[in-house]
Amino acid sequence: MSASVPLLELQNIGKYFGNVKALENVSTTVKAGEVTCVLGDNGAGKSTFIKIISGLHKPSTGKYLFEGHEVSFESPREARSLGIATVYQDLAMAPLMSVWRNFFLGSEPLRRFGPFNLLDAKFARATAKEEMSKLGIDVRDIDQPVGTLSGGERQSVAIARAVYFGARVLILDEPTSALGVRQSDLVLGYVRAAAARNLGVILITHNPQHALPVGDRFLILNRGQSVGHFEKQDLTYERLIELMSGRVHAA
Amino acid sequence: MSEFDEIARPKDGDERITYRGPLKRLLISPEIGALIGAVVVWAFFWGNGDKFGTAGSTANFLDVAAPLGIMAVAVSLLMIGGEFDLSAGVMTGASGVTIALMAKHFTDGGISLWVCIPAAFLLAGCVGWWNGFLVNKTGLPSFIVTLGSFFVIKGSNLVFSKRINSLVNVSGVDKAHGYKFFKAFLGGENQFGDAKFRDVIFIVGGILFGVLLIVGFIEQSLLHAEKTSSSAMLVAAIGAAGAIAGVLVLHRTDSIKGNVVAGVVGLSGSALAIVAYCRARFETTQPIVGAFPIEARTYIGLGLLGTAIASLAGQLFDRGEENVVLQWMPSWLRLVVAVAAGAFPLVFFVRGLMRGDADRRAQTWLLVVLRLPIICLVSLIGIVSLFQLTTVQAVRAVLITVAGTGAATCFYRARSIASKKSTKWFINLGVLMSAAFVVVAFAVRADSSAPRFRGGIFTALLVGATLVFATTFIEASQQKRTMADLNADRLGKRFVSIGIVLGFIALATRLLFSDGVFRMSVFWWLFFTAVGSFVLTKTKYGNWIFAVGGNKDAARATGVPADKVKTALFMATSLLGAFVGAMILMRLNSVQAQQGDGQEFEYIIAAVVGGNLMTGGYGSVIGASLGALIMAVSKNGIPAAQWNQDGRFIFLGAVLLVAVLVNNFIRKKANEQR
Repeated sequence: MSASVPLLELQNIGKYFGNVKALENVSTTVKAGEVTCVLGDNGAGKSTFIKIISGLHKPSTGKYLFEGHEVSFESPREARSLGIATVYQDLAMAPLMSVWRNFFLGSEPLRRFGPFNLLDAKFARATAKEEMSKLGIDVRDIDQPVGTLSGGERQSVAIARAVYFGARVLILDEPTSALGVRQSDLVLGYVRAAAARNLGVILITHNPQHALPVGDRFLILNRGQSVGHFEKQDLTYERLIELMSGRVHAA
Repeated sequence: MSEFDEIARPKDGDERITYRGPLKRLLISPEIGALIGAVVVWAFFWGNGDKFGTAGSTANFLDVAAPLGIMAVAVSLLMIGGEFDLSAGVMTGASGVTIALMAKHFTDGGISLWVCIPAAFLLAGCVGWWNGFLVNKTGLPSFIVTLGSFFVIKGSNLVFSKRINSLVNVSGVDKAHGYKFFKAFLGGENQFGDAKFRDVIFIVGGILFGVLLIVGFIEQSLLHAEKTSSSAMLVAAIGAAGAIAGVLVLHRTDSIKGNVVAGVVGLSGSALAIVAYCRARFETTQPIVGAFPIEARTYIGLGLLGTAIASLAGQLFDRGEENVVLQWMPSWLRLVVAVAAGAFPLVFFVRGLMRGDADRRAQTWLLVVLRLPIICLVSLIGIVSLFQLTTVQAVRAVLITVAGTGAATCFYRARSIASKKSTKWFINLGVLMSAAFVVVAFAVRADSSAPRFRGGIFTALLVGATLVFATTFIEASQQKRTMADLNADRLGKRFVSIGIVLGFIALATRLLFSDGVFRMSVFWWLFFTAVGSFVLTKTKYGNWIFAVGGNKDAARATGVPADKVKTALFMATSLLGAFVGAMILMRLNSVQAQQGDGQEFEYIIAAVVGGNLMTGGYGSVIGASLGALIMAVSKNGIPAAQWNQDGRFIFLGAVLLVAVLVNNFIRKKANEQR
């Protein structure tokens, strides 16, 4: 894949539910190895936007390009098969199951034993640990229940899982919303680490302080409209705040 | 609050959490409570009457308990998957009624069992599918959905058996074609004349189990030395030889003196072998020089008091005055005594809770909860004995158990206080503790006329004394491992798991051939437990079951076919219900239309006692089987001990409550720190 073709490109996307305009005229690009931040206050249309990207909704207008080809997803599964993985806020984990069982949930590694297909627990444990350490996550005990992990650590398990299962575009839905300062920093570190492994990352957040240090590109939404699409160098913190609050429109 | 914790914690490295020793890891597994419970309950009833636990009675009650055990397996899987099936009980009746009615009346003359039994399974499969379908489609709680099925099936059983057979009891299946085969297959009893191999397997397996467990635990918890010392190894070999010789002689002699000598040789040999083995292979530590720990004084005193009470209990209450001893006691006084028996062990934990900083208090809590099953069982047994049975025997048993447990706890505490101050006193207290065990053992042995109580408690106490003795020396002189060591852990775990397998084989052989008769029902129980546990822990389907019960949306989001898993679990429960129904029918040759009505709660209790979480997502099939065993033991043991039969309901209720409390605690532990 040449570097010039972006992984994802969304052109003038709009979404109407009946006569409600949830989203109108929104464009952005996601490149491999870069973090695209989608910012906006509550009700700005962020979640509609990621639902479109992850294949849950079809856009009413506009073009959705994946590696330069136009695509139209019938279900999230189709998006996932192209490598567009979404980590939702609830993380899709069973709190009482161990880290490694959660890591491989739904795609368990198997090993043949006589007539049986056994769960390859040894491989699963080792791989889960290794994959997480690749993102700089040092999980204490791969056998501990996910429920005993802190919020940031759980977030990291979900990210590592998505990366391991071949995600090329990683959509993170408010990964830092429920976390404290330090935990958020950790998670943002994992976000950078994921991008460094040549994934395109879409980070949805309403916190400009979290977006600014990690983002390469910023899409700011307000009341369903795009109020600006910036490269990192064109944006300051103050400007970002102004845009998000909806007081000023981009030129 | 978790925020601050996070910041206070160092950022990287495994020092964030201390190395979790093998024992702790074992203690957090879901079935451990049920295992301890089963052993305690079994031992209690075994010691408390002369009828419980003979080969014949064991075989009989296992035979009766097998249906409960098989159903507990299915129900626990379903419970882990987050659902209940209230129609599981009547399903056994429905299958029996279907088979019996078809075999007698289908197209007038009746039809071969080769048709009836598959038909019953088909019916059960449909019921299970329907339950699953409704739960999945409507999203209603399975409690309601299966409650509906329960009433419909219950009614159909009665209506059809009355209408077609004009009786609620359908019997005489033995004339149907294929009866012989199915009787042998489902409920057969095969005579094995000589059961000597059974005892040999049981003893050898049991000993290997113990040895491998000890070696495995040592391997996992101590620090390896650079070089193995061969002289210490030699001593260990001598000790092992002594142990083996002791066991062999014990097995052959019957004289009391011979037994004592052989026992002493065997036990000191084992202690020597364990201690020397550790010396040879593991790093030693520097002894701490210090004075006598004053804080331990009270505990030592209480321990000695407990020992004295336990030793004297036998002398104070003579066995000869059956049933009359407590008649002079007014009922209020009985109540007071019963409460006191319950409160005694609790007081120590509450005391521990009252003092110390937050950390210590948290630890005490953990201890309380870990030991809660034992504490409650002890108190419960005290209370039940005093209400139900006023024989001397029970009073003695309760006194000895309570005082003995209290003494052991006190000594243990005293020893652990000393461990921080002085190695010398640590060893002294350990030896004192093991000496106390020996004293109680001989006191019990000397007085009692009940050979079994005497023999059982005597042996258990002496083995306990040996273990205390050995662990005292190991803990005093060996360095404990604080870091994970993968190789040693793997080796140790392998030892433990081989040991457990051998122990299981030994126990299974003992149970399967208890009176020289191989019973298919018990075999099926073991078989389904093994299959259920295998599926749950070793296959991807097990992963799915956990996930569906733990977080259904998450399971679905990661591509687990959640609805299919639930439907399959419902179907498995109904199908096993049909299996059990067929099994009971083949054994009794008749079926009551109300059969299994109300049993579903017993299945659920068995599953919950076995450590399965009511809300799903956590649990164990083996635990559920052990839960069924606990219930079967109490069902059989209470009448065998000549207590009021209905006392088992008190027992059941209490056991259930304790189990739920412990479960709740585990879930909280696993969920906290969000």
